[in-house]
Amino acid sequence: MGSSDRRKRATEPVVRNNTMTKPALQKIYVILGKRDKSQLEGLCRTLSGHFSYVNMTSNLYLVAESLPDGMPQVERIQKDVGKFLEGNLFARLYVHFVHRVPHMTMNEIDFYYQYYYKNWKRTTRAFDQEGYMHQEVPRLMLLPVIVPDAHAEPDSIKGLLDALKGSFLPPSLYLDTATFFLAQDERLLSSTEKIYYGTGNSREMTDIVCNLNHQDILDDSSSRLESENPLMTDPCPAALILSAQDGAVYPCMDAFCKKNSLADIHGKLSADTIMDRYSEHGKSKRGCLACRERVAASFADLPVPEETRHEIGALLYHLGTLHQEAEEHAQAISNYKKSLELSPVEEAGPVYFRLGLGYTKAGRYDEAIEAFKMAEPAYHGQYYFHFYTGLCCFEKGDYRVALERFSKAVDLEPQLEDLVAILIYMGTCHNSLCEYEEALVPLERAKKAAGHSKEISSALGFAYFKLKDYDRAIENLGRAVEIDPYSAIDYASLGSNYRERGDVNTAIAMYEKALALDPSITSARENLEKLKGKP
Amino acid sequence: MFFLDLRHKTFLFSIIVNVLLIEINPFAPASTPISLGYIAAYLKSEGFTVKILPVGQDTPMSCSGLHRLIASFQPALVGMSAYQRTMLYVIGIAGLIKSIDGNIKIAIGGPQATFMPSAAFAELPDIDYICRSSGEVTLLRIARAIDNGTPFSDLAGLSCKTTDGAVFDTAELEGFADLDSYPSPYLDGVFDHSRMREAIMLTSRGCPHNCIYCYTPSAFKHRVSFHSIDRVMEEIKWIRKKGVRRLWFADPNISFKPSRSIELLERILAEDLDVEMWLQTRADLVTAALMKKMRRAGVSTIAFGLESASERVLERLGKHISTEKVAEAISLAQSEDIEVELFTMFGLPFEAFEDAVETLEFVKKNNVKIMGNTNSQQMQIYFGTDLARHYKDYNIGQLNNNRPAYISIGSQYETEHMSHEEIRKIQGLWRAHSLDRGRRIVS
Repeated sequence: MGSSDRRKRATEPVVRNNTMTKPALQKIYVILGKRDKSQLEGLCRTLSGHFSYVNMTSNLYLVAESLPDGMPQVERIQKDVGKFLEGNLFARLYVHFVHRVPHMTMNEIDFYYQYYYKNWKRTTRAFDQEGYMHQEVPRLMLLPVIVPDAHAEPDSIKGLLDALKGSFLPPSLYLDTATFFLAQDERLLSSTEKIYYGTGNSREMTDIVCNLNHQDILDDSSSRLESENPLMTDPCPAALILSAQDGAVYPCMDAFCKKNSLADIHGKLSADTIMDRYSEHGKSKRGCLACRERVAASFADLPVPEETRHEIGALLYHLGTLHQEAEEHAQAISNYKKSLELSPVEEAGPVYFRLGLGYTKAGRYDEAIEAFKMAEPAYHGQYYFHFYTGLCCFEKGDYRVALERFSKAVDLEPQLEDLVAILIYMGTCHNSLCEYEEALVPLERAKKAAGHSKEISSALGFAYFKLKDYDRAIENLGRAVEIDPYSAIDYASLGSNYRERGDVNTAIAMYEKALALDPSITSARENLEKLKGKP
Repeated sequence: MFFLDLRHKTFLFSIIVNVLLIEINPFAPASTPISLGYIAAYLKSEGFTVKILPVGQDTPMSCSGLHRLIASFQPALVGMSAYQRTMLYVIGIAGLIKSIDGNIKIAIGGPQATFMPSAAFAELPDIDYICRSSGEVTLLRIARAIDNGTPFSDLAGLSCKTTDGAVFDTAELEGFADLDSYPSPYLDGVFDHSRMREAIMLTSRGCPHNCIYCYTPSAFKHRVSFHSIDRVMEEIKWIRKKGVRRLWFADPNISFKPSRSIELLERILAEDLDVEMWLQTRADLVTAALMKKMRRAGVSTIAFGLESASERVLERLGKHISTEKVAEAISLAQSEDIEVELFTMFGLPFEAFEDAVETLEFVKKNNVKIMGNTNSQQMQIYFGTDLARHYKDYNIGQLNNNRPAYISIGSQYETEHMSHEEIRKIQGLWRAHSLDRGRRIVS
């Protein structure tokens, strides 16, 4: 190998790029169809083709109309799953079989268990044994997800759940508005691995799949929130949806809802080509943040456990802050308000404070002041809290209260940059209250702390003008236009000061300069016309 | 999938082979693979191109992704960390790699490999080397042998299975007594700091004690070796410069030499490094003065090994520590507002169910939160421990005599004093008291 070849090899980032572009599928959702053998074989072909793309630990959700309809298909798919796992000892697959359970007697439940589940469980014996040998949870886990009928008897359901649990088939429940009452039954919950919540009461398989996925998106968002740098704009864990109902493959739930498919299940495309398309779709995805937000909001009204409600509250709060940073204040406010309904009282302080900020930015000062009042117990020691409350009063024209708040903020020793801003606001409050002598105090302090700035110089110029100290006014305003030569209003103020000092020519020049920069300053135009003797 | 990329030095007239190091643990989030980092830095300093692939439960990795990595990086040698819990995954990945290129040589090392019987080769068809000595020097020998085209010549510190299936055990290989002789994985840029939330430090290796359940003393011949404080400080400063604030010290006993610990803490304070530290040590190696200094320097959590609160059981473990001493250490830490974690186990030799309950009660009584590392776990009987060698003398009965040779007894046992059912019962009891459903951080 020549040295140039070596150099090339040492710098090329080939492996990193290639491995990053192909995703590892963490979830595959399959909507099973009718019991049609050739259709099922086509589905199995496409599905098993994607197994080389599944993550080291991944989940396969098989959703069927009913247990009798779905079980033969599940068993067929499971054969492929077993083959894949046997050939790849580092892979783990959790197979969730989601199906409806009609209203049944205990005897019928027993038949269900004996005839279907017990046989199903037998198929995993080799993996159970392997798990035992290696002292680990088996690599193939069967996890039934029961969708109970609206008239389900809690006792019958409990009987089934216990039987499943006892056979190492940890069961979950899928509840919707028609069956939420079951979540109140502590006995049922103790026999359940997980509860999936469905919005609405549709038992359509497509709706069930959407809701299952939404729960995963919610879980993913909540776990991201726990990390130091939660990236909510990133896509959720890589998933694929295969629907035997319409014979299509979808890259994510958003695409599934919009019917933007990647390929036909029974088409000729290889898994590699479909995954190439998947990657392309991933690159063009834009709506992940909105999707996460929609999901969180959709769970907000469900009777989820308190812990989950708090998680959703925290999530909506975080999403609100993202909107706030993007200056999308209406969405931020909406999220904060929803978050307040879900968050525990002891965590409400920051939400109220952020809500106050949102209202402030949106110009809704009365509501902002109300929100800040609620945040006061948690924030009364923070200078910025008093500053923002003062700012709302200032914007409302309530300068006296604003001054009180600003003074409080100054007492709490803010950072230099913020101190200067607060002092300028204080000076401006006094100017607005015609307390020009008092205005000089904070403004001169600001000047001492930060040197000359346009804002300080302008406000000082105004105060000195009102105090008829034209020399000092001109000195400060001159400084203001030195810093910002495009400040029309300061040129206009200079014009007025020169006029009062009797320097008409300079005054005219200043007014003209102001109007050249901003022809809309009426007072400058009027004063100029007066000086030039026009009526 | 992400990995750490190391570029080799340019050697004018030789092609140096590529080495891929894999740490796989599907049961915990990926963390800084400190041991592999040391090996990588050492091989890199010897001219090899090395990549580290840390795979945790949060690392996306598929067969096809691994296939692409192997096909493009073309390693001649793959080294994998092996633990009892991860053996199946190590075997699986080895199988996939060999199916891509049968010429790639695969070595396993780490706690499970050091004392694994050579007979295990019969059930590890894709493993070529079982490393038993210091990882850096052992793997360098292998890499050089492969580079020379004679992969089974001039080796030491390992067992190997040649292409024709013959198994050889080679002589031991000593690592460096002065740890500074190993290049730093931090200072040599082995780790991708942009994804690092917490830096794992290893300022010393080994332990001189004789706890019957622990593998470390045998693996390090009851010796302790150290990095100089200068080197540790250099690493910490580098880590801080990269924006990482949390340090996790993996040393078995960070305060083994109290004066060394004091010096380290004083220098962290003097440099005003603003770090948050987790560390572990023996309860009889802390004093009020040390604890004060720890707090000031940024130690937020300290972990002690209690194992059992029954003096009778403790005595038989060879740990030579009293519950009184542990309680005193806990109180010292708590008075400085340092969070305490206690490592405990159940199913210990000579431990009755009531003894195990006593341990749980001790933890509660001393106000240590039952969560994270304080979640108790069943004792594991690992290769290389006194227990594994003499389990019958400790009245331990195996539950499974047919396990593969690469798996040790682990948790499949019961004792004369505690049945399998009682072990499950105490496990349930701990879980019921846990604040986080029994999720441990360190295993």
